[in-house]
Amino acid sequence: MKLRFGLTMALAVVAGAAAIAEAQTNAAASITARQEAMKANGGAMRALTPIVRGERPWNQQTAVQAATTLANTAKAVPGVFPQGSGPEAGKTDALPRIWQNWSDFQSKSRAFEAESAKLLQLAQAGDEAGFKAQFPIVGRTCGGCHENYRVKK
Amino acid sequence: MRPPRSVMALVAAMLLWLVGASAALAQPDAEAVRRGEYIFNAGGCLGCHTDTKNNGAPLAGGRALATPFGTFYGPNITPDPDHGLGQWSESDFVRAMRHGERPDGANLFPVFPYTAFTRITDADLRNLWAYLRSVPAVATPNRPHDVRFPFGVRPFLTIWKWLNFEPGVFRPDPGRPADVNRGAYLVEALAHCGECHTPRTMTGGLDTSRRFAGTADGPDGERVPNITPHPATGIGKWSTGDLLDVLKLGMVPDGDFVGGSMGEVVRNTTGKLADGDLRAIVAYLKSLPPVDNQVPRKTR
Repeated sequence: MKLRFGLTMALAVVAGAAAIAEAQTNAAASITARQEAMKANGGAMRALTPIVRGERPWNQQTAVQAATTLANTAKAVPGVFPQGSGPEAGKTDALPRIWQNWSDFQSKSRAFEAESAKLLQLAQAGDEAGFKAQFPIVGRTCGGCHENYRVKK
Repeated sequence: MRPPRSVMALVAAMLLWLVGASAALAQPDAEAVRRGEYIFNAGGCLGCHTDTKNNGAPLAGGRALATPFGTFYGPNITPDPDHGLGQWSESDFVRAMRHGERPDGANLFPVFPYTAFTRITDADLRNLWAYLRSVPAVATPNRPHDVRFPFGVRPFLTIWKWLNFEPGVFRPDPGRPADVNRGAYLVEALAHCGECHTPRTMTGGLDTSRRFAGTADGPDGERVPNITPHPATGIGKWSTGDLLDVLKLGMVPDGDFVGGSMGEVVRNTTGKLADGDLRAIVAYLKSLPPVDNQVPRKTR
């Protein structure tokens, strides 16, 4: 009886440790994943800026490519912010407020998703004027999250 | 004896005028309100007077602002008679904006940037007041400031004001182009950019020898960048397009989007200004003397 109890306890401890280790790996992987996603977003915005400003001629291929990046990362955003992947899990600019205001964070990320999907549609339709008008709307959704949920740089 | 007809006519005219004037008082001039809203945006009033983080009602106050002197809570500036500005007259408002004084004569804390607002023109103040009268009243009580001694003692502010405050309306410099003057007015009088972007002296006044050179100790402990046209440490290498994008959208040249306080400024102020005004701000910033000041990054 004593032996069984001891074994059960030991198993429970091992299982608990494994779960914690997995959560930590998940958290670390999420931090890396979202940093890569944000870098990709920055690259997409950089590629689009000269076109939107009219410094470079309209290029549908560039527009579709960059808007695809934005639309895809937007879909991934809430998923790469699992509970426990804040500053306690590693070096990250994500503020704990994200998880304290999860529904607001989610609604802001949904706005990014909706607006970037619209941007992609306009790019695919070759609607240059519509695309250029949509660009700042997408941009504002980026700032919308950074204002409250990212460490000020 | 009856009064002469001319006197009767004069009295009648005065009565008519009074009736007309009170009608005008009851109904704020829609054009003034519209112009006032633009001034309100340019002045960034919403930010400090709204507790956005806790879903506070617009302009009902409560937003915390941490400074080296303590934490201040923006007051309610809606027309509520008990907790807001409902009992203020236009001249009370002008006195607060131009001289940093409450209607009872007490000094206001300079966290309310009257050092900048004192430069706002009479016409803009009048329109801004018309706009503030037009917003819905909200009965949210003010939260007392949490300021360290002796900074919380209002009479001491008289000394602070003597050191750091020069009241007076903005005067355009005839030696500068019109857009630079307009930009200077927007930056210095309304948007009060220097309140964060200019480093402060020991007494908490702006260090005018290093205007807009940035600081590591901005409000809420944020790092505030150098926005003088210094090529290595400021915005010297930014194109007009780069500067317009950061003001309008919050986008910086590497494709990132600003957050923190500047994110708020873009949302409330610069993102709402007319293109011509944004260009004027850029022209003014580019005309500033470059200051070599590398603001250190925070280590975490």
